[in-house]
Amino acid sequence: MTVNKVWIITDDRNALGELCAGGRQLGETVSAVVFADKTQAEEAIQLGADEVYVFGQPSESVVIESYSKAIADMIREAEVNLVMVHASVSGKLIAGKIAAQLGTGALANISDIDVEDGIVVKHMVYGGAAVRTEKALSKTAVVTVGTGVFTALAKDPSRQGSVTEVNPELANTGIRVLETRPKQGEVVNLSSAKRVVGVGRGFASKDDLQMAEELAALVGAEMACSRPIAEGEKWMSKERYVGVSGAVVKPDIYLAIGISGQIQHMVGVNQAKTLVAINKDKNAPVFKQVDIGLVGDIYQVLPQIVAKLKEQKLVTV
Amino acid sequence: MRVIACGKAVPEEQDIVISKDRQVSFDKAEWKFGSYDLNAVEAGKQIVEAAGGQLSGLCAGGKILENPKMKKDIVSRGLDELFTVTDEALEQVDSFQTAKVLEAAIKKMGEYDLVLCGAGSSDLYAQEVGNQLGELLGVPVVNAVNKITPEGDKVIVERALENEIQVLEISLPAVLSVTSEINTPRIPGMKDIISANKKPVTRWSLADIDVAELEPSREVVSTLAPEQADRRLNILEGDSEEAVAEFVKLISAELK
Repeated sequence: MTVNKVWIITDDRNALGELCAGGRQLGETVSAVVFADKTQAEEAIQLGADEVYVFGQPSESVVIESYSKAIADMIREAEVNLVMVHASVSGKLIAGKIAAQLGTGALANISDIDVEDGIVVKHMVYGGAAVRTEKALSKTAVVTVGTGVFTALAKDPSRQGSVTEVNPELANTGIRVLETRPKQGEVVNLSSAKRVVGVGRGFASKDDLQMAEELAALVGAEMACSRPIAEGEKWMSKERYVGVSGAVVKPDIYLAIGISGQIQHMVGVNQAKTLVAINKDKNAPVFKQVDIGLVGDIYQVLPQIVAKLKEQKLVTV
Repeated sequence: MRVIACGKAVPEEQDIVISKDRQVSFDKAEWKFGSYDLNAVEAGKQIVEAAGGQLSGLCAGGKILENPKMKKDIVSRGLDELFTVTDEALEQVDSFQTAKVLEAAIKKMGEYDLVLCGAGSSDLYAQEVGNQLGELLGVPVVNAVNKITPEGDKVIVERALENEIQVLEISLPAVLSVTSEINTPRIPGMKDIISANKKPVTRWSLADIDVAELEPSREVVSTLAPEQADRRLNILEGDSEEAVAEFVKLISAELK
């Protein structure tokens, strides 16, 4: 079963493939809305779109969210069944604005979608403690989708589709871009890391994180942390925080060091193939959901582990 | 400047009890205001401290909002007054229904310059109420706001996108959803808690704000604890050299 018309909207080229594939999986026809860059149109068609609307950028002072009303009008006109918006910051705003224009609510951050019997989606609630399944009741369902829900199809250069450039009149939106500057700090892509070492409250000071960094360097892992380390202590950048409102990682191995394993953190690491934890409290919730655990004081065992791994490395090299 | 900070009463997630059949129970849960909403209240407080004006709180929800403890909790964080819309029908509403109720309440509250929401509610975390509310009110709306500087009849805000910071000039009135990093909410002192009792509260029903019907956008099919992946639970105990050696052996096998 599929629905008739699916529209996908993304401000991020990297999300185009997954959303187009999702559209193909769920709908008879797939229309894609992209912004500013016409070269994305051809790519969208090769990845599964039947038609593409390219919204031009009239001036640098306009935010792309200003097009939401125009897009909502097109969606209403076309009697679209399902609108899937990439769950970026801008995408969430676009989804909310479009949904409100259509008189419905955006179903946010869905982790699963099924159209067998109406449009049914799942998303995490209560800080990851539960998954809620919801059925859309509105004529057009608007959802936001993060990466990892769909798998992109291989590009098919023989696919044909239509490309339409749209340049709607924009009334004064009351929002003017004064400046766009790169974010300070690091760009980390935790979601693609194969090995991740996560640190938590078990560390008493920022300097002590060095022990974990040494381990991470030794095994070629990215560093990550629980929310208190990034937002409370600010020992690590927010980009490295894993959990319900942070990054979701899917590595081959995740080593949780000094992390108690609150649900809010664990939902971010549950998809790791192998979960490893070191914690001094044997009753810590993390030990209920690991493959390999070591109950011990990290200040005692971590240096020993690092030393042993170093020895091994010497032997194998 | 009149600033309205929105907040939602939510169950304390640490108190959620999961039963064997993955059902989720809140029977033992304490109620509080969402932690992200406190960033909105603090941002509002900092604006009225800097630019002058009044900070109003606005909450829509079930009967729990009538609990005096809840009032004290939110008002003591810096509100000059509180407005609540309470109805049993508001206990299980979606983000659009909430936005509709807030829209109607704000219209009844009169003139305003800025509506602030948190990054998302601590329970459902759809991150869409502010976005939808701005569109319903027909005013500029922006999410992920990391800094707000009032400037006459405008505000200059910094918005944190994935890899960039947008600096935006926004005309008022407007709706902004702030990030959880925009500030560290102050912890109310004894004086704040005592004076909170004297701050006015206006309590409305849905009828008071002329909301007759609230069509849901979705039907909740189920709310269940996630299925746990089967893990090996190979737990070694002790700081002994043997335990550490065994642990290293096990993880080395995984790292090959």
